[in-house]
Amino acid sequence: MSDNVTLTIDGVQVTVPKGTLIVEAAKQIENEIPVFCYHGKMDPVGMCRMCLVEVGQPAIDRGTGKPELDEDGNPVVRFFPKPMTACTTTVSEGMVVKVDTSEAAVDDRKAVLEFLLTSHPLDCPVCDKGGECPLQDLTIRHGPGNSRFDYEDKQHFPKRYPLGDLIVLDMERCIICARCVRFQQEIAFDPVLAIENRGRRAHIVSYSKPGFDSHYSGNTTDVCPVGALTTRDFRFGARAWEMTNVPSLCNHCGVGCNTVLGTRAGTIRRIMPRQNEAVNELWICDKGRFGHHFNGSPDRLTTPLIRKGEELVEATWDEALSLIGEKFGAIKSANGADSLGGIAGARLTNEDLYVFQKLFREIIGTNNIDHRVGLSAALEDETAFTVGVGVGTDLGSVGKGTTILNIGADLDQDAPILYLRVAGASVKRGAHVINAGGRRTKLDAQVQTTLRYNYGSAARLALGLLASVVSQGLVAKEWADSRTSGMADLEKALKNFGADKVAEATGLTTNAIDAAAKAFAEAENGIIIFGLEAGNDPALRAALEALALATGHAGKPNNGVIAVLPHANSRGAIDMGILPDRLPGYKPVESNAGLSAVEMLTAGGVKGLLIAAADPAVESESYKQALQQLDFLVVQELFLTETAQMADVVLPAKGNAERDGSYTNLERRVQTFDMGVPAPGKAWADWLIFTGIAGQLGADWAYASADGVMAEITQRVPLYAGMDFKNLTAPISLQRKTEHYIYEGMSFTTDIREGIQWATVAESDSAPKIPLRFIEPAKASSQEQGLTLVAPRMLYDGGRLLAEADVVNAHILEPQLMLSRSDAQKLGVSTGDSVTVSQNGTAITVPVYIERTVSEGVALLPRNLAGRPAEKLVGPNGLYSTVKVEKS
Amino acid sequence: MINQLKDVVTGSAEIAKAMGVTLKYFFKKPVTHQYPDEPVEVYPRFRGRHVLKRYDNGLERCIGCALCAAACPTDCIYVEASENTDEKRYSPGERYASTYDINMLRCIFCGYCAEACPTEAIVLEHDFALAEYNRWDAIYPKERLLEPHDPDYIVLRSDEEFKLSETWGKK
Ligand code: SF4
Ligand code: SF4
Ligand code: SF4
Ligand code: SF4
Ligand code: FES
Repeated sequence: MSDNVTLTIDGVQVTVPKGTLIVEAAKQIENEIPVFCYHGKMDPVGMCRMCLVEVGQPAIDRGTGKPELDEDGNPVVRFFPKPMTACTTTVSEGMVVKVDTSEAAVDDRKAVLEFLLTSHPLDCPVCDKGGECPLQDLTIRHGPGNSRFDYEDKQHFPKRYPLGDLIVLDMERCIICARCVRFQQEIAFDPVLAIENRGRRAHIVSYSKPGFDSHYSGNTTDVCPVGALTTRDFRFGARAWEMTNVPSLCNHCGVGCNTVLGTRAGTIRRIMPRQNEAVNELWICDKGRFGHHFNGSPDRLTTPLIRKGEELVEATWDEALSLIGEKFGAIKSANGADSLGGIAGARLTNEDLYVFQKLFREIIGTNNIDHRVGLSAALEDETAFTVGVGVGTDLGSVGKGTTILNIGADLDQDAPILYLRVAGASVKRGAHVINAGGRRTKLDAQVQTTLRYNYGSAARLALGLLASVVSQGLVAKEWADSRTSGMADLEKALKNFGADKVAEATGLTTNAIDAAAKAFAEAENGIIIFGLEAGNDPALRAALEALALATGHAGKPNNGVIAVLPHANSRGAIDMGILPDRLPGYKPVESNAGLSAVEMLTAGGVKGLLIAAADPAVESESYKQALQQLDFLVVQELFLTETAQMADVVLPAKGNAERDGSYTNLERRVQTFDMGVPAPGKAWADWLIFTGIAGQLGADWAYASADGVMAEITQRVPLYAGMDFKNLTAPISLQRKTEHYIYEGMSFTTDIREGIQWATVAESDSAPKIPLRFIEPAKASSQEQGLTLVAPRMLYDGGRLLAEADVVNAHILEPQLMLSRSDAQKLGVSTGDSVTVSQNGTAITVPVYIERTVSEGVALLPRNLAGRPAEKLVGPNGLYSTVKVEKS
Repeated sequence: MINQLKDVVTGSAEIAKAMGVTLKYFFKKPVTHQYPDEPVEVYPRFRGRHVLKRYDNGLERCIGCALCAAACPTDCIYVEASENTDEKRYSPGERYASTYDINMLRCIFCGYCAEACPTEAIVLEHDFALAEYNRWDAIYPKERLLEPHDPDYIVLRSDEEFKLSETWGKK
């Protein structure tokens, strides 16, 4: 029997797979059945009754078991006596559905709308949803013109009820469709909303503490089909029709969520998700949604500044650029090109970074460039070049048969939308997720297997898994033989390394490691994710690469490795060769490698430094001292950061909403964003500034736009071939659109672009064999006694880009040491007491907070908080270290 | 010669005729006004300068919904809304207009804004004397629009009779 069924909807025949819902089948023939509670991303519940249709089935003759035929030989259709909800009824062969052709169904829907409006306040003029409201739209299309109910007899609720401090509820407008409740339950896995009471007294509540405690709360305002949920940030920011919707990208983490800037009168009013099924589906996290206020900040730099004695005074671009040209030129001729260097943050676009490295390599003549300061230095990754996830990988669709191994990434904090997709793969679609980490993270609750290893032993765990794959005979022989080399050597090295030591070092049982290895190797698809807390260890990366290759989980969609790099364009920074030893496209440098950021930020490292979009001065005292000793420091920034205050020349740069460009996300997807609002004052785009500096040093580049720079990248960096803006901004194909176009509940649309992923070595059959690498992990540092202090990255931190976002500021933690109850008891402290945390003579004092979710032996003190206490102990580039904690 | 004589005769006749007209109006009531010393009469439904209305209790009627701006064919209204708080309350309900500008140079006095307004906050009243020395002053901010504006050089005619036609609103 075929897996398709054919049915007739309003006289039109359509063939769809078995199990399809009537609404979805109707969508395929562009018959839009009105819905409120149904949402393509959530399980149907049939709560609102808006989708009532008449459904009939061919009558079967009981005697013969054959379909009954009428006189003309057509099958007789028996209609169900009552209307059915199209959102919960699945199709069947020969079914006849009447949507608009049935008077009864039309009447039923009219009645449902009349009922929904009996208690609706009808305050559309002051409602943020007005103008893009499904209730308005469907009432006009399907509703009655007037109501038979008494206007005075409406149910009243408080108008402005804060569910949490980000989301405001207007219960009078709610139609109890439970989309918000279901979103939190089924998609965000933060079930913090519920419906209380029934009938007309039913209302939405949040019992979490603090209220509506979720990183994804803003999405409920998008899925809400009425204006019941609004964000405190946008409330009354503009009417829906007044805004210009500009396609953009979030610049807060490496996921690269597609967003829409709603702009009006030169300012950003709101940020909404833009559908991209391959990246963020229909969602963005609250940081991405609310963290845009830095753009319009009054503290932005608006003009170049030049140091005159102690003061930084305003200057023109000509003065600033020619001074830089003069000073850099002088330093170069006196001390050689290698006395100059550059540090560029991973928030810059590919175009900026490409021009940056070209300036240093081709015009100045040095390889002293790097992007690895702060968090960027805490995780490196070159495995993407060989075994990055295959082109076409879609974490939003993988399920049964897929094993995802996550090592050391706290996805809910580091890459929130990736968390949704991984948790969804596990809970909704049945993928096997193995969450390996040194501490408990939120993902643990959503996965089948958790592995808790000792901090610092991630590389050993990876090698243990690899060794276990080999010893259990699970190597994908054929593939590995044809595509990799050095298997025999690897096996030998693994034997010498000793798998038995792994259990001891990691604190895991051999059984657990074997089971995980088996689950990963035997899965149809295998994806490895690793993050900051796995440690910045080449041995780990070599082991993970070998693990992916040996198990054949590389070189095809839904297989391979994802490094959860920290910033919006961390991947692009590596691709563009912002490294002292690598050129764009992962080519090693031809001549000598240059100095790394850490070396440049050591006293005497270089004499002149250009720092763009990075703030090393706050990361560490020693960096600050090194910066003070420079002859000449140029800083290119949005704000007068601590580093900028030390500069000789400060150049104002444009924020990402003020220009166009491209980012490469952690799945190597290159995506573009457009300009939304004008830049403050005289700020320039970063690539233009670099071009200007190059001009002063004798270059005759003629880049006129980011587009033009990208055109050169496509020529000179083979990985990026074909990625000119024309291709990157091309709207998705019609077919993809009908597959994915489910902008449920949002009536505005803007370009849907999917971006382009570059292909890894493993994906090209003609590429040379990939050598399997083995790197001996560094010896565990002397077994100091004490707690492991972990300085995780929090979604809401004290970074400059969030500082202006008032609504999320309350969510930024005060520095506090989070301890497990048992460790706190051992120390004899309780919440609120202060403790001294020390390591190698550095000590800080912080209050204690006993946190249920912290595991024993681990103390958490997030990084990048006020005063940066954590960085003092773990260092500017680390995530954890062993410390002594004492009651003070 | 004879032609010249003809001209004189017809010419004098014309002059006499014209003077006759003059003479006739000389005894009629004059139609000119001593504007602005004497007020001008306008019909009650004459559409002139806008005024933003208040409720009797002093709260602003405008709720900042921007429907007037949406209806305006010349796009000359600019509204920004904000949220009322219990301490600072401008209008009943949650929302009020924190900015409300009308560019009188662009307005064509069609009255669509008043038609669209759900609270009857914006009303086109009767002032037509909208000259300014500075073009920027022709953009009326909210404060100016909220002032009751009843210039003494305008009075309403009382003789307009408003008859609802049977055929109105029907095809
Ligand atoms: S608040 Fe919105 S999404 Fe939630 S139940 Fe009510 S109408 Fe539905
Ligand atoms: S998950 Fe990352 S990219 Fe997406 S909205 Fe959040 S911070 Fe931005
Ligand atoms: S009268 Fe017409 S043109 Fe003038 S502001 Fe109102 S809607 Fe606009
Ligand atoms: S004047 Fe009327 S239509 Fe215009 S914003 Fe105010 S309430 Fe809305
Ligand atoms: S019952 Fe079908 S959409 Fe709500």
